[in-house]
Amino acid sequence: MGRLPLSGVRIADFTWVGAGSYTTKMLADHGADVIKIESSAKVDGIRLSAPFKDGVKGINRSGYFADRNTSKRSITIDLRTAEGRELARRIVAASDVVANNFTPGTMAKFGLGYDDVREINPRAVYLAMSMSGDSGPERDFLGYGLTIGALVGIHHLSGLPDREPAGTGTNYPDHIPNPCHSAFAVLAALRHARRTGRGQYLDIAQTEPTIAVLGAAFLEATVNGRDPQPLGNAHLRYAPHGVYRCAGEDRWIAIAVTDDRLWPALRAVLGLPEESCPAEWATEAARHRDREVLDGLIAAATADRDADDLFTRLQAAGVPAGVVQDAADVVERDPHLRARGHWVRLEHPEMGETLYNAPPFQLTGTPATLTRPAPMLGQHTREICHEVLGLDDAEIARLRAEGVLA
Amino acid sequence: MTQPDAAGALAGLRVLDLSGPLGNYCGKLFAELGADVVLVEPSGGTALRHQPPFAGDRPGPERSLPYLYNNTSKRSLRLDLDHPEGQQVLRELAAGADLVIETDSPGRMAARGLGHEQLSEDNPRLVTTSITPFGQTGPYAHHEASDLVCLAMGGLLYLGGYVDGPPVQAGQQQAYAAGNLFGAVASMLALTAAEATGQGQHVDVSVQESVVMGLENAAQFQDLEGRVRRRTGGRQWRAGAGVFPCADGYVYLLAGGIGGNRFWPNLVAWLDSEAVPRVDEFRGEQWGEREFVEAEENRDLFAEIFLPFAASRTKAELYRDAQKWRVPLCPVSKPSDILESAQLRHRDYFVSVEGPDGGAAVMPGAPYALSETPWRLKGRAPRLGEHTVEVLHELGCSAERVAELRTAGVI
Repeated sequence: MGRLPLSGVRIADFTWVGAGSYTTKMLADHGADVIKIESSAKVDGIRLSAPFKDGVKGINRSGYFADRNTSKRSITIDLRTAEGRELARRIVAASDVVANNFTPGTMAKFGLGYDDVREINPRAVYLAMSMSGDSGPERDFLGYGLTIGALVGIHHLSGLPDREPAGTGTNYPDHIPNPCHSAFAVLAALRHARRTGRGQYLDIAQTEPTIAVLGAAFLEATVNGRDPQPLGNAHLRYAPHGVYRCAGEDRWIAIAVTDDRLWPALRAVLGLPEESCPAEWATEAARHRDREVLDGLIAAATADRDADDLFTRLQAAGVPAGVVQDAADVVERDPHLRARGHWVRLEHPEMGETLYNAPPFQLTGTPATLTRPAPMLGQHTREICHEVLGLDDAEIARLRAEGVLA
Repeated sequence: MTQPDAAGALAGLRVLDLSGPLGNYCGKLFAELGADVVLVEPSGGTALRHQPPFAGDRPGPERSLPYLYNNTSKRSLRLDLDHPEGQQVLRELAAGADLVIETDSPGRMAARGLGHEQLSEDNPRLVTTSITPFGQTGPYAHHEASDLVCLAMGGLLYLGGYVDGPPVQAGQQQAYAAGNLFGAVASMLALTAAEATGQGQHVDVSVQESVVMGLENAAQFQDLEGRVRRRTGGRQWRAGAGVFPCADGYVYLLAGGIGGNRFWPNLVAWLDSEAVPRVDEFRGEQWGEREFVEAEENRDLFAEIFLPFAASRTKAELYRDAQKWRVPLCPVSKPSDILESAQLRHRDYFVSVEGPDGGAAVMPGAPYALSETPWRLKGRAPRLGEHTVEVLHELGCSAERVAELRTAGVI
């Protein structure tokens, strides 16, 4: 196997729960040595979040935790002890990146704030991902992906215009906007550190990256003077554009006619009778004006169709369409994801063979491999003490007995 | 503290952005951390120029709000890549570039003689990032898709919407956002390797897979517990978890937090301090148990007690008070609320450029604060072909060649 892009980069990873852990997963899967510094007293909440292997709760059994922590190693250190804090500082001294997503001030209490870290290791890139950033009237506020999604507008903008907002159904900011912006910023700061020898402080609020992917909605407000509304499944330009029921339990197909040339093709595949489709529907503007009528016609035509078969036929005719896949489709049935090797099964000491996401991109020259499943709590304490801290077995035993390595 | 390096963390990187909705935001991220990003546009302009909404609702290539947001800080080169002379210019540009971002269907660039292998012949350190709906390989590689189709095929669409209705899309083109964002991370990883080894590569980004990354734990529920996660909108999905109406809109409350019920006692203390009737019914260990808080009667009980209280408060008041008591509650904000946020104003988050009709176009600014190499807006999105001559001169094209390219309709 060739060298991975981040081979030789070490990360002292104090992150937990969602966005922070997903950020460092991306770096770990591409070669960084990510040391997850955990506490037995205050366990990462996501270790206790469903789903669990066989539905049985346990700190080493959560699939939610596991998928966010591939390719990492775990050490437990009690940072409330002076010796624990000293060990953490030594890991920081030997790291290129120091990452956390606590509320501001938490790391400083452990002597691991940016000012402390810069003293120990001026080359370190220090990633802080608090909810609102480290300054301002809301700096101490707390939130999770779901509440942050509401705060930043994505919740309001997702749903039907005449009902309460529906959101994405997930902790959306945690999985895409926050980890991606954070990983990008870390990689940029690492480049700067390689070129200048200087680290820096990255203050990433868990609100601002999601607002940044809603840019056009803000221009709607500031340039056109109106608050954008949720659109349901409509599009401001394309029609038909929607989700239509198919045969079977909760089966749906998404169809988007993005070009006038596709309209006759869609009509042919659905067998829409000519008399119900006015000639002016040849143009996008007319279809968009009459989109509700059009949606009704299409829904009637898809209701008895098999979603997979319809998907195949529409694609053969060049019409953008896709089955609204549920998790079982995505994980077990989608032949394309299988062919691309998106799902990886790794053997976990307690969970057995379990499912993990590979990266959603392929670096053809330096392909990633998930080097290991999620770590058990403290699984690598001894090996990290040896390798990184240079402690011998007697010392490790003493630190364990005194509750420092806990 | 040393002086911030105004050139930016990505200073010196040269990026050619040949993309559209699937890659323009990726290019913007590079531009605003210091890379030189040239937007290479066909004669009709990049695809995003034709996407609504438009300034003043009047369509036009300089009026698309998504275009104007996603292309700030870039320069525009108008170049016909279907013309042999245009292809030649692009090859010359790529010889001096670090990164090409393209989003054509798989094989299109290679058919023009502009695929990664061809472009890297004279520049082995070049990284080419292709962001496409289904990636470069696999049975669906040539399938047609839109943002909605990628959301559907990636499984996120199924999770959005209401319990009693069809799946509903995430707003504002989030599948494309995901492709752009993972594309940016992948590009930086490949550039990191290229700077270390001198060896570039082709980066193959699938928008569908990027969406799959947003399924949270739905794939693991399927794998570990054999349960298919479904949509929950319009419903309190756990006692004290979900959207609740208040005096002037909605709030999102996540009383328990994630994993266990850490914040429940805080919620009870808050409601107690406000003398909310029947708050005592929220006391007891049972409110920490998954089965209990998921049971319908307990969700109903929660709503009965909480809703009258929430109805007497605005979302801003509830946000302020809940946070004082360390309860994870946030307003369901509209863009106009967010533009007024005291927190974001304190952080100078929003930035302003000149809009197409002369007024101020205020938009989101830095998604991250880098102390040494700050994010920097270099200017409004370029007009179509605004920098064509400048970029060609930098490439060493003579005035005569520029004139020839113009006559041939290449630029």
